[in-house]
Amino acid sequence: MRGFGALWQVALREITERARSKAYLLTTALTILIVLALIVLPDLFGGGTSESTVGSVGEGNAEIVSTAVDLGNANDEPGDPPSIAIETVEFDDRESAIVALEEGEVDAVLVDGEEVIVESVGGFGGSSFINGLQRSAGTVQIQAVIAEEGQQAADIIEILTSDPLEVTALSGGVAEDGESKTAVAYFGLLLLYLAVLLYGTWILTGVTEEKSNRVVEVLLSSIRPWQILGGKILGIGTLAIVQLLGTIVVAVVALRVTGAFDLPPIETASVLNLLLWFVIGFLIFAVLFGAAGSLVSRTEDANTIAMPMSMAAVVGFFVSITALNDPDGPVAVISTFIPLTAPFVVPVRTALEAIPVWQYLAALVICVVTIVVLTFVAGRIYAGGLLRYGGRVGVREAWRSAAE
Amino acid sequence: MLSVQDLHKSFGDIHALDGCSFELARGHMLGFLGPNGAGKTTAMRIVFRLINPDSGTVTWDGEPVDPDDLLRFGYMPEQRGLYPKMRAGDQLAYLGRLHGMSKSEAREAAEMWLDRFGLGERIGDPVESLSHGNQQRVQLAAALVHDPDLLVLDEPFSGLDPIAVETMSDVLREQAAAGKAVMFSSHQLDLVEDLCEDVAIINAGQIVVSGKVEELKDAAPIRHLELEVEGDPTVLLDSLDGVHSTMTNGSRLTAIIDAETDVRGFIARAQDAGKLRHFAYTTPSLSDLFRQAVR
Repeated sequence: MRGFGALWQVALREITERARSKAYLLTTALTILIVLALIVLPDLFGGGTSESTVGSVGEGNAEIVSTAVDLGNANDEPGDPPSIAIETVEFDDRESAIVALEEGEVDAVLVDGEEVIVESVGGFGGSSFINGLQRSAGTVQIQAVIAEEGQQAADIIEILTSDPLEVTALSGGVAEDGESKTAVAYFGLLLLYLAVLLYGTWILTGVTEEKSNRVVEVLLSSIRPWQILGGKILGIGTLAIVQLLGTIVVAVVALRVTGAFDLPPIETASVLNLLLWFVIGFLIFAVLFGAAGSLVSRTEDANTIAMPMSMAAVVGFFVSITALNDPDGPVAVISTFIPLTAPFVVPVRTALEAIPVWQYLAALVICVVTIVVLTFVAGRIYAGGLLRYGGRVGVREAWRSAAE
Repeated sequence: MLSVQDLHKSFGDIHALDGCSFELARGHMLGFLGPNGAGKTTAMRIVFRLINPDSGTVTWDGEPVDPDDLLRFGYMPEQRGLYPKMRAGDQLAYLGRLHGMSKSEAREAAEMWLDRFGLGERIGDPVESLSHGNQQRVQLAAALVHDPDLLVLDEPFSGLDPIAVETMSDVLREQAAAGKAVMFSSHQLDLVEDLCEDVAIINAGQIVVSGKVEELKDAAPIRHLELEVEGDPTVLLDSLDGVHSTMTNGSRLTAIIDAETDVRGFIARAQDAGKLRHFAYTTPSLSDLFRQAVR
């Protein structure tokens, strides 16, 4: 079979054989179970009270706080401890309240029932706390509206759809609607990191296994090395995405059912962007892992040879954590142009809207060119390494002995 | 027609092939012989473009072998290789697909070959659960599943019991009779003599002997002499010219002698010396030719 037909056959074999293997089914089931446990268990057993302290400046705050407590505990079963408890501390002026906030004595400060001051809006916990206060402030206003006569339903809807409290964050940086994008980027980053380490290893050991059980000589007698390597990456990549998507769907459903925390609204564009960089990142590492796997004959040696790639993934992950905090900093900018770190960093900077278009495009071009060049180089190393048995084959030796 | 011309290949300081040439026509079966390390596997790998020769050419029907030709070739490598956890039937069907068969063709061929080797009931079993001999049968089926025009088998008989050897011999004969070009390497020279019309003997990277087995035997400068007498047979040999090698086993003596040596006088003397129980003077066996060629 010629060209991509053979590649597809190889991919199909990877998919059917692996999907049928106990190891794949077990890891899939385990991952989903762990994710479910992480989401559901705290909801089942974490019946404790979440306590917070709010500073109050001026009038009109007490009603918001008491309504927030009522709303937060609305679904509690009788007899259980309350879900939330809020303590109020009075301050004379805004300045002293902010000092208390900065020293961590209070979690937020309400001013005149119209403003809420927090440390920052980033982070999941912070946002749900603000949302709670917003909802409660809205409820207070609705109660006031209903108390007056002759008001239109439209007025109530307007109140419901607005955020009555103005949010002031002491530390800047994150724009409010950037929060969900950051969450998506961070999540994507974590997935790419895990996928590179987990599924990259599958490709590595898969190649080494074919070499150690010598089946590769039968394969190479009929099809070309790039078809084997390409098919392997396509097949394992497909399984990887199926496993990851399955886990994500289970997680989202579980979150919606339990309401463990509010999912931020997610834009299609940022998800697509993430997917694009996920595929790019996975491809770069997959090709490298495949070439590395062809250099060793025994699976025991495979882990040693994977070290450089695993290290690169770790570096990429930490660099992008840095970029999350300082998306315009030199580390973030430099790593944008390095193919091994770009897939981690670019989605983060895109999410934070901290990457100029030219840098984004440059990174894209660099990565695509890298994939093409790597496929050629790795394909040749792969071809040269596959029929050399015993011990570890040097990269240069494999390159030279490749039959092209 | 497979034509291998003047192949050279070095691995570092080792000259694996040093001007290796041979030909194999459709409908013929070639025994590819040589001591360990003579270059048999290297030559076979070059035919399948697994290794690049330093120089020399391999052609199929007059054209250099290209990737499309490879799909019409079947190969059984010396190092057996199958996916241990994959089912026997799936494995064969997969290899059939890789060689360009449709899904149903590949399925049918896989079933047919497994039936042929008496493994029809094991079609759904993982290869690793089969015995060594049965794995070897599956490996041969893997080389045959796509009905190739050229069949190249590296030591197909090693490690097989006599029954399996018979099945495999039958299949190879059939393939050659059906017009396929078949070549295999082996150290079991009696078997090669039984099966093959043509042989090529490789030593130190060069083909040292090649041609029809019968013609080679007739043309050989040596003869095979066997006799059994009462008493010590070795003293008789002192009177014989051109003895290359001898081997005694009790009262039975085997010798390789010059083809030109006149044995008539020797027979007379042997009869005088004592009772001659057994005497044979024949063209050399393939084993004799082989030993002579690679000495």
